[in-house]
Amino acid sequence: MFILRFLLRRLAQGALIIFLVSALIFTLLRVVPGDPVRLMAGGMAPEALIEEIATDMGLRDPIPVQFTRYMSGVVQGDLGQSFVRPANGAAVGGASFDDSTRSARAEVWDLIADTAPKTIQLACLAMVFALMIAIPIGVWGGLHPGGWPDRIALYTSSVFVSLPNFWLGIILALLLSVKLKLLPAIGYGGFAWTILPALVLAIEIAPFIIRSLTVSVAQIMGQNFIEIAGVRGLSRSQIIFRHGAKNAAVPLLNLLGVQFSMLLGGVLVVEFIFDYPGLGLLTINAVMQRDFPLIQGIAIVTAAAFVLINIVVDLLSTLIDPRLEY
Amino acid sequence: MYDQTGLPPVLEVEGLCVGADLPEGMKPILQDVSFSLRPREILSVIGESGAGKTVLARTLASWLADPLKVTGGSAKFRGTDLIKDPAAARKLAGREIAYVGGNPAGALDPTMTVGAQLVEKLRAVRPEIPAAEAKQKAIELLDAVRIPSAAQRFHEYPFQYSGGMMQRAMIVDALISDPALLIADNITQPLDVTVAAQILKLMRDLTGRFDTAVLFICSSLPVACDASDEVLVLNKGRVVERQVPERLISAPQHTYTAQLIRELPKLWDGTEAAPAEERGEPRPIMSVRGVAKHYTAKNRAQGGTNVVQAVRNVEFDVFQGDNFGLVGESGCGKSSLMRLLTGLERPDAGTILFEGEDIGSARPARIRELRRKFQLVLQDPYGSLPPQKSIGAILEEPLKIHRIGDRRERRERARSVMSEVGLSETLYEELPNGLSAGQRQRLNVARAMTLEPRLLIMDETLSALDQTEQHKMLDLFERLQAQHGFTYIFISHDLAMVRRVCSRIAVMYLGETVEVAPNDRLFFDPGHPYSRALLSAAPTLEERRYRPEDCLLEGEPPSPIDLPPGCAFASRCPQAFDRCRSENPGLTARGGRALAACFLNPRRGEETAQTTPETTHA
Repeated sequence: MFILRFLLRRLAQGALIIFLVSALIFTLLRVVPGDPVRLMAGGMAPEALIEEIATDMGLRDPIPVQFTRYMSGVVQGDLGQSFVRPANGAAVGGASFDDSTRSARAEVWDLIADTAPKTIQLACLAMVFALMIAIPIGVWGGLHPGGWPDRIALYTSSVFVSLPNFWLGIILALLLSVKLKLLPAIGYGGFAWTILPALVLAIEIAPFIIRSLTVSVAQIMGQNFIEIAGVRGLSRSQIIFRHGAKNAAVPLLNLLGVQFSMLLGGVLVVEFIFDYPGLGLLTINAVMQRDFPLIQGIAIVTAAAFVLINIVVDLLSTLIDPRLEY
Repeated sequence: MYDQTGLPPVLEVEGLCVGADLPEGMKPILQDVSFSLRPREILSVIGESGAGKTVLARTLASWLADPLKVTGGSAKFRGTDLIKDPAAARKLAGREIAYVGGNPAGALDPTMTVGAQLVEKLRAVRPEIPAAEAKQKAIELLDAVRIPSAAQRFHEYPFQYSGGMMQRAMIVDALISDPALLIADNITQPLDVTVAAQILKLMRDLTGRFDTAVLFICSSLPVACDASDEVLVLNKGRVVERQVPERLISAPQHTYTAQLIRELPKLWDGTEAAPAEERGEPRPIMSVRGVAKHYTAKNRAQGGTNVVQAVRNVEFDVFQGDNFGLVGESGCGKSSLMRLLTGLERPDAGTILFEGEDIGSARPARIRELRRKFQLVLQDPYGSLPPQKSIGAILEEPLKIHRIGDRRERRERARSVMSEVGLSETLYEELPNGLSAGQRQRLNVARAMTLEPRLLIMDETLSALDQTEQHKMLDLFERLQAQHGFTYIFISHDLAMVRRVCSRIAVMYLGETVEVAPNDRLFFDPGHPYSRALLSAAPTLEERRYRPEDCLLEGEPPSPIDLPPGCAFASRCPQAFDRCRSENPGLTARGGRALAACFLNPRRGEETAQTTPETTHA
């Protein structure tokens, strides 16, 4: 009952958020300079033809009219078609406005559905790596506040946070791929291609997890119920794992939710460096090609993922700590 | 030594010394403490704060933290020396030696149900017990400590328990492993007197049933004498006396004990006259009429909101130059009422007249002006002062807010109030973090005084201070009153303090004033059964005028969310009858400027010519 009401309320809120995000992105894309039709038709296309195509595509209608048309498609699951990309996969542009070989343009939904799984795979692996690095260091630091494990946690996270990801990516690629030939670096040809970018991302987000863990574990371990648990007869491992870890999990979970959403939203730099065909790379290309429908589609899907992840995080937090109310 | 059972002692402490290992050297905390304890015996340890009571408790529970160290002596539990063999001592902790502390609020993991944690603890110390059996035992014990519908409460979380229920749950937690020794460290301190009385009775019953020996650490002499077979007096880390309670009180051997008994405030002492009412000038400075305030809280289980009736039907007058007391247990609405009296919140109904002006409906700017004349002094000496401001700046801030005087005048005013409350002027530039609790409360009083108010509202101002410091503060209040003609409202749960200083007292129960009476009348002829219950449970060494068993039924106050229709006290009142359960009696005059809300008082409608009018609401 509680969960049902909670889900209903949060999903309604989420729909509103997604609507607002769409409206914002839609409007912004149409007021910034740069005509997509000019890019599609090519620099040599006559002005009259461009006006004709634009009118045909409805791009000369007032923005609210365009938005209404677009949103009525979105609620039916239709994110529109890419301005630039044909369905057969070849990237086009330039002088192909009168190219008869050009077939139907690609569906935005298909483009996202092709790339999203790779990004999800990258995000999950990065998260696993990050937790593998951060949990031991963070918990250990939190159990000895002020001691040297705490300092190790601080120094590690300071070093990690100050490594620029593009630099780290290049160095790791040089080391692991070029010199040691352990891992592939560029493009995507299977799971092995995910490892290197995931490692770079993990090192980028691990410091935040370490910091949050040391603080929350240290705070929980100073609580009265932890102090008194030993006197009540509980063993040290019971106290740490059953009570300490559980209570420290709530702030961690919130942080992980935010981090995971960021990873899903496309990690532009890292995907670009490794030429990893995920949402990030798709976004970069879509922006450079002024591919309005694709940018809008990515924005909507990312916003939806963000909303869903937050709902899951809040639900899990309530399950862990029943005092929380969302 | 007093031998009650003839059984061999469970615990023998010999020459125990504990010290704090500080950089400047070993500072002794406990010195040469020796005593023994037999099964079923309850031994109280009493002493002022700093005497080493808690250190003794923690030493025996293997819970000494740095820099405390045992420097000598032995503590033998059934022959095992807890000091020489810390590993064995840790094994006994929680199993044979159980500990209950004075702070039940944070004692259990908030994310697990109480029941699960009781089972977890039992299985941690006695892994051979199967989970189902452990659960059954926990429910049985929860039932034995009179937690209502124990089988359901077993599945509830700590935050769903009230303070009194949590303390009972912690007693279950301690007793569930059938320990031979229970160390009860200040277990009644955070509880209201009526609940504390119930817990003490319970502890006695249970220890009799399970053959447990109890070391009862306590800072209140009356409670210690009530609870135990023998009392051990600890002074500056040394045992100065061990006696049975009756002999301790009638023939204390050590001067410290004698002083302790002498300083104890008395409730029914006829030799010292109670503060008389100000009859010469019966002009009310503050009149409260039919005030009510409710808050809405979210209901998790069914959705929607609950209405918490924090304050209802509050009526009283405070007279010029008088000391007015407002007593009641936690959750009775004292603090909500304080917020209304000071204009921090507005009442939903009724009026609060301060010198003829209604605070409840005044404009915010006007309330601000009025506030110069009534000031508040809070309970917590630590949280109520900004830690990063110098004492001088703290005292000058109210003057700045009200734009009074220039810099030099404000500085002079601050210095003069400092000397009035007994703070050295050299503290002017200091930060408050170096001050003791008593000095902090003096500073709080000084801050309230800088604006030269007419009325000071003291919300539990003295409850954080020890006996001696309280005395000094009360003397200070008296002196200030004589000099400045202050009127005081003391909001408190301490009956002895109210008895000593207040001339009129209002008793609150579940948001209502159930009795308003002059001091002597309330203590010698209370008009409400709840007042009698409070008096019966008050810690005192005197012969009680009211016996707890006659005055109070088992159980806890109803929740202010779903109040019963009639009198709110009916569920705990031994004299309740049918009418009480359907109709709220309302405050009624009973002669001699006393009012009470109980049907058992003869109605005396003709005496409405009082300054406090008779009320007529259901």
